[in-house]
Amino acid sequence: MTGRRVRAWLLVGALLGGCTAREAPAPFRVALVTPGSIADAAWNSGAFTGLNWIHDSLGVPVSHVEARTPAEQEEALRTYAEQGYNLVFGHGFEFQGPAERVSTEYPGAVFIITSGERVQGNVAPLIFRLHEASYLAGMVAGGVTKSGMIGFVGGVELPPVREASEAWVAGARAVNPQVRSRTTYLNNWDDAALGREAARALIRVGADMLHHNADAAAIGVFQAARETQGVYVFGANADQAALAPAQVLGSAVIDLPRAFLLVAREVQGGTFVPRVESFGLASGVVQYVPNHALDSLVPAALAARVRAAEDSIRQQDGP
Amino acid sequence: MRSNLRALGIGAAALLIGLFLLAVGLELAGYDAGAALAALWDGAFGSWRAFTGATLVRAVPLILIGLGFALALRGGALNIGAEGQFYAGAIAAAWVGVHAGGWPAWVALPAVALAGLAAGALWMLLPVILKLRFGVLEVITTLLLNFVAEALVSFMVQGPMQEPSGIYPQSAPIVEAARLPFLFGSRLHAGFVVALLVALALAWVFARTWWGFRLRALGEGPRAAEVSGRVRAGRMLAVALLWSGALAGLAGAFEVSGVSYALYQNLSPGYGFTAIGVALLARLRPSAIVLTGVVFAALEAGAGAMQRDAGIPAVAVYVVEGVVILVLLLGDAAARRQASRRAVPVVDGSP
Repeated sequence: MTGRRVRAWLLVGALLGGCTAREAPAPFRVALVTPGSIADAAWNSGAFTGLNWIHDSLGVPVSHVEARTPAEQEEALRTYAEQGYNLVFGHGFEFQGPAERVSTEYPGAVFIITSGERVQGNVAPLIFRLHEASYLAGMVAGGVTKSGMIGFVGGVELPPVREASEAWVAGARAVNPQVRSRTTYLNNWDDAALGREAARALIRVGADMLHHNADAAAIGVFQAARETQGVYVFGANADQAALAPAQVLGSAVIDLPRAFLLVAREVQGGTFVPRVESFGLASGVVQYVPNHALDSLVPAALAARVRAAEDSIRQQDGP
Repeated sequence: MRSNLRALGIGAAALLIGLFLLAVGLELAGYDAGAALAALWDGAFGSWRAFTGATLVRAVPLILIGLGFALALRGGALNIGAEGQFYAGAIAAAWVGVHAGGWPAWVALPAVALAGLAAGALWMLLPVILKLRFGVLEVITTLLLNFVAEALVSFMVQGPMQEPSGIYPQSAPIVEAARLPFLFGSRLHAGFVVALLVALALAWVFARTWWGFRLRALGEGPRAAEVSGRVRAGRMLAVALLWSGALAGLAGAFEVSGVSYALYQNLSPGYGFTAIGVALLARLRPSAIVLTGVVFAALEAGAGAMQRDAGIPAVAVYVVEGVVILVLLLGDAAARRQASRRAVPVVDGSP
């Protein structure tokens, strides 16, 4: 092969390589993969807000994609890593397995799994002990319920969702041991009509206090509560009082944006060490936020008891 | 040949109109349509990795299910239960794949595929019996069985087939030997080759065999076909429908043994329904289904890229898919009207 021909091929190679050149030495970039729509007013929208905070506060390029099936979720993580994103959030427990598989091929990228399980290589979980706040919501429900029956609507029966459901029931029983409870899983995070049906079914068997962990499908739970007199509901993942101002007694809230920004700062600064980062009530990232417009429905003694429980959980958590 | 070209022309026009409307909609909504379409293209065809790992991987189930849909519709039956048959196939394949410990790959891989085929056909058995015995419309029975299949998957991954730790709603991973090999060092699995072979086989059946000819006669004029005494309508329809289900089941099996390696609840992003568009756009021609399967797969692969790189909700792409089908149906209706107008004098001329 003559030298000229070699040069010609090199030129062709450079031109072809040109399409991928932007993927080579890139600036710090952050990506988010959500398992559902960011229009859920809770879990996914909170993550998207967090991503925007990262964009605004750190001035770095960000990107988001929605991936529903396991295949799409793994593909999304892989694509971001391939494109050279430095920090990729897989927003949910279901991303743990895919992230572990992908991370071995891309040791340069950090994968944060919200509600994840364990550290493996560059995969680290961001755990929110939302059940601590759900426990407090359950206490309020147990004290306020007239029918003595409370209901929980879950999206998919993942460990964090199950924990929230169990804590909600435990909280209610701590106040009123006679409380009966029902839990429904939708096997779905998006279908608001299904969420509404599930909530109506719970109301029909006598539940007058509802709590959820079902993302966008929970919009239907609020609908059902608005349509029925005397039924109250507790939001999850975000302060959802606005969805039904006269029915939401309080919300178990995760300050997702704050947690996202904390991690992104560390990764950008190069100080991040893969670890189990867990936030509970003590950190302030997880909170129980009462809807003060309905304070009159919650007896003062009950409110004081909830506050006392909150303090004791905080102390158990440690600093 | 001319009709082939015309069909290709109408299909391409439908696709262009769909993309054009998407661009207009995006501009109206305040997005940069140029950047969006560029991202769409990049995500689908922009690199070898994207083309094989994103587009062709999605094309495998679309092609297989599309072929099955075409097979049934050629005989005049509408199988809109491919989603359910897909899941039935996935359940069976995952079960075999998990329990295939110690088997060599040349046993495990065919076993997984056969399990998918059989389960898909089995899921179709009830609609076939109801149709032949009681004349219950297969459109309704196959559709309803979709919900049953989804519920069955949920039950399986939280009950008998749940992974050993009992935490995740998914099955244990299938053994290595039951995983399809990748092609050309990409993430495209060998199921793609099988999908192409099935397309070839069906093209041959439709074009060259006596059975294919009778099936078509049955589809286009069931009464005439039966009266001719050459077509045993019930039996032909049963065979076509069962194979239709089997192919959807095979698609489910390949999704497990080529992509996800375990059974999950939301394994399919709606392949069973998208594939109907694939088959219609191809006018039920097997070779064209390969092409339209890749086109629809490219749209869905590009949708993700559009959201990643241009910030546009991925669902926007469904507008394109919907418009394509609408334009085709309109085109068909127009063509039929023209044809019938031309046919009128002939009818008048006969005594």
